[in-house]
Amino acid sequence: MISDAAYPHRSAWLAGVREALPLLGGYIPVAISFGLIAIQAGFSAWETIAISTLVYAGASQFLFVGMVAAGAPLWLVVIMTLLINARHVVYGPNLAPWLTPSRWWPWLAHGLTDQVFALALTRFPQLPANERVGWFTGAMLLAWFSWIGGTALGAFAGAELMSRWPLLGEVLPFALPALFLVLLAPRFTSRQWVIALGSAITASLLLTLNGLNNAAIPTAAALGCLCFYLVKPGEKAGAERNA
Amino acid sequence: MHDSLWLAVVAIAVGTFSMRFLPMLWMQRHLDKHDGQDAIDVMPQWLSLLGPMMIAAMFGGSLVPNSVNLTGWAATACGVLVTLLVWRRTLSLGLPVLAGVFAYGAVFIAFR
Repeated sequence: MISDAAYPHRSAWLAGVREALPLLGGYIPVAISFGLIAIQAGFSAWETIAISTLVYAGASQFLFVGMVAAGAPLWLVVIMTLLINARHVVYGPNLAPWLTPSRWWPWLAHGLTDQVFALALTRFPQLPANERVGWFTGAMLLAWFSWIGGTALGAFAGAELMSRWPLLGEVLPFALPALFLVLLAPRFTSRQWVIALGSAITASLLLTLNGLNNAAIPTAAALGCLCFYLVKPGEKAGAERNA
Repeated sequence: MHDSLWLAVVAIAVGTFSMRFLPMLWMQRHLDKHDGQDAIDVMPQWLSLLGPMMIAAMFGGSLVPNSVNLTGWAATACGVLVTLLVWRRTLSLGLPVLAGVFAYGAVFIAFR
């Protein structure tokens, strides 16, 4: 029997699951592709699923499989994959002001992917403190399980799925830019933010178009910060930071 | 997978987890030292700027369609527009994303 005190936690957990649903549109098709590619590179289905469960970082998993299949030295594979994931170091500190004391955060940090971070950074300030752990648990577990499930689907039936419904792989990934747009839209509150965010978006778009996918996020984000300071040199934007 | 490959997977998993968790722990301790002050004011300003900029960078990169051609870009533009319009009406999270994906899919199927 569930006590009354458990309900707020449970509803927060479910709210996290509900609000992370749009992530599935981006995660599952990419995870299916990963499962398929890993099988083609010579990994077994269970090895492929283990990689998605333990590493849980899309771009670096593709790089890992590609480099291993190409016969690259393992020390180089480890360094390159960790370099790609280095952008994650700024996610935790950004969320820290809203983290309530809980022994679960160290375990939950495994699920701090790009998309979960973006969602949490927007939602945490709006959530009551006692609901944040529950909300994050729900969102993080849904995203993690969808990544593992998508990988399994790709590993066991990827080739057939892709040939039967090729449009799904084309259309569903648009859920990610749509989600990022909804998270960003409320932040366009002043000329300074419009220019800074616009610069980061444009720079990342151009870098990705030129094949520099892995450099795009940190480089474009740094450029956006630079623009923010250049638009109003010497003036503090403290009043706008929480917009 | 042979043993050394498993070792590499574990090293990457531990390294990635550490990059996600340790900076979080460091900032929590930093904030604890300034107990009583507003946590946002204690954070370095560049760090609180970097969060939204990372989201903007992820958005820019994810805008590039799987099929980089006129159909892909038209579908992207339409999807972005519909997402924004629905967001302005509803100020919600799920519905604008759903509408954006439908709009993207409709244009993609119509013009492919």
